[in-house]
Amino acid sequence: MSKKVIIRSAIPVILIIAAALAFVVFEPIQVLPRIRIAPGYLLVNQDAETITSEDARGAIVLYNFAYSGCGGDCAAMNRTLEEIQSRLDAVDTGDTEVRFVTISLDGDGDSPDVLRDYASDLGADTDLWQFATGDPVHLENVVKAGFEVYYERGDNGTYAFAPTFVLVDGWGVIRGEYRYQTQASDADKIVRHLGILGEEVRNSHGAASLAYEAAHFFLCYP
Amino acid sequence: MTLNWKRVTVAAAVAVVGVLVAWYVILPRFQPHIFGGAVIQSTQRVPRTELMSADGPVRMTDFEGKVVVVYFGYTFCPDVCPATLSKLATSLKILGDRADDVQVIMVTVDPARDTAEALKEYVTHFDPTFIGLTGDEAIINQVATLYGVVYEPAEGSAGTGYTVDHTSTVLLVDKEGYLKLVLPFEGSAEQIASDIDYFLG
Repeated sequence: MSKKVIIRSAIPVILIIAAALAFVVFEPIQVLPRIRIAPGYLLVNQDAETITSEDARGAIVLYNFAYSGCGGDCAAMNRTLEEIQSRLDAVDTGDTEVRFVTISLDGDGDSPDVLRDYASDLGADTDLWQFATGDPVHLENVVKAGFEVYYERGDNGTYAFAPTFVLVDGWGVIRGEYRYQTQASDADKIVRHLGILGEEVRNSHGAASLAYEAAHFFLCYP
Repeated sequence: MTLNWKRVTVAAAVAVVGVLVAWYVILPRFQPHIFGGAVIQSTQRVPRTELMSADGPVRMTDFEGKVVVVYFGYTFCPDVCPATLSKLATSLKILGDRADDVQVIMVTVDPARDTAEALKEYVTHFDPTFIGLTGDEAIINQVATLYGVVYEPAEGSAGTGYTVDHTSTVLLVDKEGYLKLVLPFEGSAEQIASDIDYFLG
């Protein structure tokens, strides 16, 4: 075989290797889908202050749904939140704040005092992790119709509900829903998604923003 | 080898024309439309709740085939609402004849004071095609919540009575009745017109 033939036959192999390398080096942009508009809400937090969906504008907020009397049913969900909280330092969201809001399904029972005790039992930093509830009728609009999380009050003051996390971006758009998953491994997924959202926020200006919009159209979802 | 200058000139001219056509004609077709707000990708239907206009009951789903622009405000609103409504009226003027397939709706966040008649008088002052909608407080709360809108009565001056703080986003619903775009209050009339134009197809 002549030298020339060897070189010629090697070219396609080299090209394939180069393409594979390029794919690894220039990872395709990942974006989270823009699922739905998050509901507007007006609730009262653990410090008896009004908090609204407008206060959350501009921040990335992870919502979950629980109530102070839920005991063991919420333990797994709270462990996940604690784990995410402890790993937040590793997530770069630029200037955008990441916050947690636990919406209590028990609008009648969970007064600010009760919520404050619940928060301190969980060791939550309430600057970062708020607890809130509101008028039961408004709560139904927000949680059932808006966040699409079903719950039902039982006879003995307990609530049946599906453990759910909902991730909302600074536009007030739902970007992630994590349902029926109560294992601590949820934290991995949510932390990864927070990173993807953070990257999107940091790249939301100039030429990079075009690439992100294009990624939405070409559906590069993780 | 001698260069054929005539050929080189023709080739250069063809190359220049080719680059210009690619730059100004072909590339723009592949450029994504730049939206003024956040685009919702999945299929979020507008609520079918029945609201009241001065000319009878209206559902958001009554306007299939038109792009619907939804805004939440109230007639006693001192600043944000008139600014937004006049901006939307300007957007319709920019769209010209294409505005025939656009319906602008203002839903009140102050149903206690805004009657259907008062709303009609208010919104048609900005553009005769605008519609104002009201309903029971419980229904307004439900509809606003689903559109990501929150409102809260606040103290006002003696002259205006109370004011109502409310979310100031403008929402775009496509011709099939899907909620598609959330626009911030700051958006320009030109940007809103070009976004409406995109959804008109």
